[in-house]
Amino acid sequence: MNFFERIQKLDRRYIYIVVALAIVIPLMIPYNSDNVTSPPTENLYQMIDSFAGRPDRAILLSFIHDASTMPELYPMEVAILRHCFERNVKVFALTWSPTAAPIIDFALNNVKEEYPDIKSGVDYCNFGYKPQALAMILGMGDNIATTISTDAEGRKLESLPIMNGITNYNEMNLVIEFSGSSAGGAWFVYARPKFGLNVAVGVTAVMAADMYPYLQSGQLIGMLTGLKGAAEYEKLVDVFAAYREPTRDYSIKKDANGYKLLPGRPFGKEILNDASTQKLIKITTQTKAVFTPQEYAGFVKKYPQQTAIFDNLKTQEGDNVVVDVTKITPALRDQMGEIAFADINRMTRNTIYKFKVARVGMNAQSVAHIMIILFIILGNIGYFIQKAKAAKV
Amino acid sequence: MSFELMSNLVGAFFTLCIFSFLYKDNPFYQMSEQLLVGISLGYGLVFTYERIFVPFLWQPIVLKHNFILIFPAILGTLYLFRFSRKLGWLSRYPIAFSMMSIGMGVPLGIHASILVQMRQGMVPLETVNLFLIFLGTIAVLLYFFFSKAHSGSYGKFVNVGKWYMMIGFGASFGLTVMARISLLIGRIQFLVNDVFGLLK
Amino acid sequence: MKKTIPLFVVIFGGLIFVAYAFSPHKFLQDDFYNKFYVPWSYAAAPFAALLGIISLSMMHTSKIKRRAPKWQFSYFFFAGFIVTALAGLIGGMQKGGLLMWMFENMQMPMSATMFSLLAFYMASAAYKAFRARSMEATVLLVAAIVVMLAQVPLGVKISKHLPSISQWILDVPNLASKRGIGLGVGLGSVATSLKILLGIERSYLGGGD
Repeated sequence: MNFFERIQKLDRRYIYIVVALAIVIPLMIPYNSDNVTSPPTENLYQMIDSFAGRPDRAILLSFIHDASTMPELYPMEVAILRHCFERNVKVFALTWSPTAAPIIDFALNNVKEEYPDIKSGVDYCNFGYKPQALAMILGMGDNIATTISTDAEGRKLESLPIMNGITNYNEMNLVIEFSGSSAGGAWFVYARPKFGLNVAVGVTAVMAADMYPYLQSGQLIGMLTGLKGAAEYEKLVDVFAAYREPTRDYSIKKDANGYKLLPGRPFGKEILNDASTQKLIKITTQTKAVFTPQEYAGFVKKYPQQTAIFDNLKTQEGDNVVVDVTKITPALRDQMGEIAFADINRMTRNTIYKFKVARVGMNAQSVAHIMIILFIILGNIGYFIQKAKAAKV
Repeated sequence: MSFELMSNLVGAFFTLCIFSFLYKDNPFYQMSEQLLVGISLGYGLVFTYERIFVPFLWQPIVLKHNFILIFPAILGTLYLFRFSRKLGWLSRYPIAFSMMSIGMGVPLGIHASILVQMRQGMVPLETVNLFLIFLGTIAVLLYFFFSKAHSGSYGKFVNVGKWYMMIGFGASFGLTVMARISLLIGRIQFLVNDVFGLLK
Repeated sequence: MKKTIPLFVVIFGGLIFVAYAFSPHKFLQDDFYNKFYVPWSYAAAPFAALLGIISLSMMHTSKIKRRAPKWQFSYFFFAGFIVTALAGLIGGMQKGGLLMWMFENMQMPMSATMFSLLAFYMASAAYKAFRARSMEATVLLVAAIVVMLAQVPLGVKISKHLPSISQWILDVPNLASKRGIGLGVGLGSVATSLKILLGIERSYLGGGD
């Protein structure tokens, strides 16, 4: 048996070991990488963002999957919820599948932990498990509160503050279905023609290619594709919804005319392509807040009492002013107050693990894809050499 | 040891039991497989009881005296005659009842998966891409039209559809690889971060 | 009685549903659908679930009785089923209860891991089975490799243009082929529905007379 025959017959367990290593190593050693956003993701982001701060608009998340596809779909759900909580978008969640009910709780609780101001029944509402999808889909076109009746905690929907201004699909104008199998079918077959509801999907990558005809026809207004879609969405949230201007005071919630001021900033393609954006999407741990001198001046102006503390902490690196948050001791943190601490912490542009899971995963995905491609090429080289040799004999 | 860590270790144990199948079939894998089916079924039973049976059958009849619902309950029990060789035909009644709603799928299905897609296939061919999509759609449709032999210039045109499909399947395949790897990444993230991250 | 009445129910009820999809009339939307069909189908649904439970349990009982290969593991099926069912029926479904704990820490990790095994098989198949034997297979593999590379950050480092090429593949040739196939599937499923509706297709009622 020659070399090529031997590698053709390589025991599968060696391949399994290579696969495991190709995933474990990049997960253990995180590095910064950039996931280029695709139009279906951007469209969905913009649609959700257009509801920001509006009491008469809401989105519905429909969870139709079990734990088996969670690694692909769960990070999407977390990213979208984070977007909604950052930008004050009213959000509902429901499922037709018993196995998805705990997943809704996981996602909501996981994101809510980081947003103490966000309240169930006011900013979001979990309808929980509802049997009979079709009856609900059609019923909500008429009236959401009477169709759904009670939420997962057993409260009457009519009495919840979140329902103020929300009657049917005219207000709850967008549904996003997360699914490994149905992919929004029930919504765009039944609710879109009858009520003009906008439908988007978060699907496993397996079925993504099949959805393109529906994207082009507008039956779907956006789509997140597997882990990549989740990573793209996480990035968009970091760059826009969770962005904080160093100089703006976010404790002011209304402008001079009484209009609500929203944190974050609106979507802009040019911002995404701008070099400065790279600073905002690092997935390694960031501990240093980097300011230009003007930004620093504007930042400390918001905290006149803490200026001295910040001045003590700051160091000069080239043209920039740098504050290292690891140097803030617990005593210093007490002295500066939680609001100022949270603000300086945010200026480091550090993302906590749960909001970058998909991007950390995409690093491993990179290595794994290269590995699979090498496997295909190696396998083919062996095959053709063997074939050529057989032809000679 | 915290409760959370213990829970995660239980999860990790069963994760490794399933992974052990990669080496070879073994009792740990067999045990987990059967437990998985059993737990899923038990969960399904409780869920059906608490979220469907109680609120939609028990409470309406017992508390609200909506006795008409006894009829669908009897209809439902007819499902169980599936096991009887002699009276198996009775189970056709509930099946027929649930099949009725297929009527709604006809008009709405024609709309969503045929008419809207055809409309989008017939837009003015203003760009090269729209022309390519138009050409591809027609060629693929004709490829599956077997009433005319695929020969001559017609056969050549129909063959174009095959190439379109190969590219389409290639794209699906590439994305499928991505999906499978993502699932494994999710499990390894669980092991590395949720379990061993806590042990540190 | 055995077949005619069920067929009549499907045809008659199905035609009402066709009308329901077209007409906003109160009788169809409210009296028929909301007040009759929805509560009735809820009330009948639990028994369908019961059917599944009984059939699986019967399968495992007979496996144990017949001492079929790996029959011992059927006890684990019953253990899992009985413990979860009792935990849920006695302890309830709230978060923190035994049922939810078992579901979250046993069922969810196991079912997720079961699917993740596919990644290993896929890699092994990539090495052993994906051969560029013909021109068609080569095109398929090249399209797959372009899409795979374009999805990941490292691929974008190889060439800036990869994402737009991959997006074009998905947006144009992929879309055209999927639309062609989708139209075929759509027509097929509508035809099947119509056959059921008109009583031509009856296999869903099972065999016999």
